[in-house]
Amino acid sequence: MTAAPRWSLPLLLLLASAACKDQGSQAPAPGSGGGSTAASGGGGAVIGAALSLTGAAASYGAQQRAGINAAVEDVAAGGGPKLTLVIEDDASTKEQGITVFQKFINRDKVSAILGPTLSNTASAADPLAQQAQVPVLGISNTAATGITDIGNYIWRDSLTEAQVIPGAFKKAQEKLKFKSAGVLYGNDDVFTKAGYDVMQKALADLGVKVLGTQTFAKPDRDYNAQLTALIGQKPDVLVVSALADNASAIVSQARQRGWTGPILGGNGFNSPAFIKNAGAAADGVMVGTSWNSLSQDAANQKFLAAMKKAGVNPDQFSAQAYTGVLILAEAIKQSGGKTGREDINAGLAKVKDLETPLGKFSFTQGRDAQHEPSVQQVKDGKFQIVQ
Amino acid sequence: MGQQLLNGIFLGSIYALFAVGYTLVFGVLDILNLAHQAVFMLAAFVALALVADAHLSFWVALPLAVVAGGLIGVLLERIAFRPLRGRADSNISGLISSLAMATVFEAIALQFFGPDISRFPQDTFPDRVIRIGDATASLLQVLIVGIAVVLMAVLTLLLARTRLGRQIRAVAESPRAARILGVNVDRAIAMAFFLSSALGGAAGVLFGLAFNSISPDVGRGVELKGLAVIILGGMGSIPGAVIAGFALGIIEVFTVAQIGSSFRDVVSFAVLFLVLIARPRGLLGRAAAREA
Amino acid sequence: MTDLLLAYQSLFAFVGINALLALSVYATLACGQLSLANAGFMAIGAYTGALLTFHAKGLPFVAVLAAAALAPAIVAVPLGLPVLRLRGVFLAIATVGFGEVVRLFFVNWDFTNGALGLVAIPQRTRLWTIVLALAVALYVLGRLRGSRTGYALEAIREDETAARTMGIYTTGHKMAMLVLGAALAGLAGGLEAHFTFMVAPGGYRFERVVDWLVQAVVGGTTVFYGPVIGAAFLTVLPEILREAGARLGLAPGPFRMFLNGAILLAVILYLPNGLVSLPARLRRRARGAA
Repeated sequence: MTAAPRWSLPLLLLLASAACKDQGSQAPAPGSGGGSTAASGGGGAVIGAALSLTGAAASYGAQQRAGINAAVEDVAAGGGPKLTLVIEDDASTKEQGITVFQKFINRDKVSAILGPTLSNTASAADPLAQQAQVPVLGISNTAATGITDIGNYIWRDSLTEAQVIPGAFKKAQEKLKFKSAGVLYGNDDVFTKAGYDVMQKALADLGVKVLGTQTFAKPDRDYNAQLTALIGQKPDVLVVSALADNASAIVSQARQRGWTGPILGGNGFNSPAFIKNAGAAADGVMVGTSWNSLSQDAANQKFLAAMKKAGVNPDQFSAQAYTGVLILAEAIKQSGGKTGREDINAGLAKVKDLETPLGKFSFTQGRDAQHEPSVQQVKDGKFQIVQ
Repeated sequence: MGQQLLNGIFLGSIYALFAVGYTLVFGVLDILNLAHQAVFMLAAFVALALVADAHLSFWVALPLAVVAGGLIGVLLERIAFRPLRGRADSNISGLISSLAMATVFEAIALQFFGPDISRFPQDTFPDRVIRIGDATASLLQVLIVGIAVVLMAVLTLLLARTRLGRQIRAVAESPRAARILGVNVDRAIAMAFFLSSALGGAAGVLFGLAFNSISPDVGRGVELKGLAVIILGGMGSIPGAVIAGFALGIIEVFTVAQIGSSFRDVVSFAVLFLVLIARPRGLLGRAAAREA
Repeated sequence: MTDLLLAYQSLFAFVGINALLALSVYATLACGQLSLANAGFMAIGAYTGALLTFHAKGLPFVAVLAAAALAPAIVAVPLGLPVLRLRGVFLAIATVGFGEVVRLFFVNWDFTNGALGLVAIPQRTRLWTIVLALAVALYVLGRLRGSRTGYALEAIREDETAARTMGIYTTGHKMAMLVLGAALAGLAGGLEAHFTFMVAPGGYRFERVVDWLVQAVVGGTTVFYGPVIGAAFLTVLPEILREAGARLGLAPGPFRMFLNGAILLAVILYLPNGLVSLPARLRRRARGAA
């Protein structure tokens, strides 16, 4: 029996250390090692961010991290409270999400938590924060129920599809006057399935006949079979509930299969990566979005500039993450500069018409997000507002 | 109907190309190489880097990436499989060590390329459409099927006609006998891995080009389908993998067309199940157990 | 100090749950069968438990857990009959297929909200519940050693044909272990559902079974408590790496994943009988034996 070559394992480790270059900014050291209180002196607060940096949701977590880091810098530069950030990876699993939350609550003694990235992780980890009375601000949880219902310490700044789609579809129908639709949605992901539920109802409310419904799974890359089937029924419009990764391939393949009609999408399409990957095929696609990338508001322009400086493509995930930090800073301000957990929770309730990249932001009675969604259409390789 | 058949052939060609590499290694070593899908993914990234960053033509990048895939396979064999040879539980430990390598490869890809999906630049391939009856196929799709078929034919010829091929088949039959007959078993196995991973890499590059999707986790979706294909075709049988690959592609597409896409994977696994229960050796597999 | 315990209490719980799952995979490994269906069994147990908690409100937790263990055990029987005839990798693949079909069933079942799953499950599991369940599992498996059944299982593991020739009822034994494994996985599923407040199909993918298999093998499958050691090690490892990474100033991300894979590779290459064989090896090395 040949022994393992002795150099193989050290070689691997060498490759590891060589490969280990920083992607994005590093998390500063945690404010406290344990045993001390939340505020790290001088009006600052320790904020934990539970993000999916590896695993299925890794691309969203990376965007969120960029948004959060940029916002913390901007807040400090603008004279706001000093926020000490602790970022942890939950590997897109609920187990690590729970472990990270417990670490934040009991070891890092955070004043508030941003995240987690996935709705499924949120329904598993948020209850712990609720029990421990630590405010949580979701920045990408879009499941219709089961998030803010958990308790009065759970908030979110991400509009659910229910708040975006009905208005977007109504406007789309005014413009495109479609009567029938073919629907394609991802049935194994909370984001896209929740989106589909809303889309189905919105279409029914508008009196649109659904000629065919097809599904795909998130790891799928080939949609030719589903698209051929849907297109074969000759609907007026294709309705798609997908995240950016799948969306670009779906739209490309639809065009390749000869679909020249309009395509309607949800929040998941709202990313420059979608246009970049879909190329010319993206033209004409109409999306209901919760972040108006074209807004000329000062807050949005500041966000876009910060993303450009960080070398990151701005998208919905980074916009909502950036806004999350702004909201926390505002909550601290509303509580008179106090940074305890109760203070921040009380302060969140007082956030009203805050200027953010998402527009004027407030919370609903149920601690959900409230701001103007928008409808956009891709024209000449860029998103444009549909009036 | 014709269009769906074309869709099935197209999808099937990539399944077949992927599975052929999978089954080759199983035939030779009796081990399931769960890192095959990671090589699939890495080769796609290599090709992407060559085309997008080094601005090479796709026709230069493809063979380079395929060779890179082969070399990664040789490295894989050296690190993760060779030390386990001769161990009694080598199937399970081989499974696990290949799995560990898959994780390592994916982590490396994540670190270097980030988690986002990339695609080949728009002008990598001309955007032409061909009409076949009342169905359409893009030039790209036709080419992919063509390349896949050519590669599989080359492999089959190589195994049947060349000396290396005979050596590999001898080792697959019985390593001990092969060694006695003067075959350099280590080298034959390394070559088998080279070929297997080269083909897996080719499948990855073509997949990335066909579906505009290259990401560190792209291999995961194909992994289980690859298993279904090699079972259906018969473990260790290359012609079996080819036929089964096309068959599964067509079955999947028609399931979507006739029944509904939610059932697509269920049908694939049901087929897998039925084959295992009714005819475990698959369509063209060998009935006899492998000798030591 | 209590803060440290509070910070990691869930980690202990997950170690316990993973240990049960690793043992469930070990159950079939003990007679030489590689069954990877346990994610499916766990899903059945988890959903059964959650549904009972929601719709049979008066039912005591013990009964819910019993049902969670029983449901997959019952399903295991018609699965095992055709599938246990298969050898080695074929059995593994067939069981993987079964697990995926179960997951897809839950993805498509509207009654349980498909991909969204069931949320707001009351947390009825305590740390001691898990410890108790684990203790029971270890007791059952421990009793098998040295018993006639235990020897029969070992014989089947060594050489199934020989065992059958000697009159051992191989099919029955293999079926029993498959059912036992299913029950353990279902029990773990029920415990986890009532600990993490929710269940969703995404948590029962093929990758998870592979995790438990790895935990069992890394711990060592020559003794019945090996998988527990493996589960503890591999559940805690990412958290240790998280700490180490933070102290070294590394950004969280792929490096942890890399190290996970590298360490797994190291164990499988250099410690073939798992971590439980480490003390013996070190002793031998200390004594200077070759």
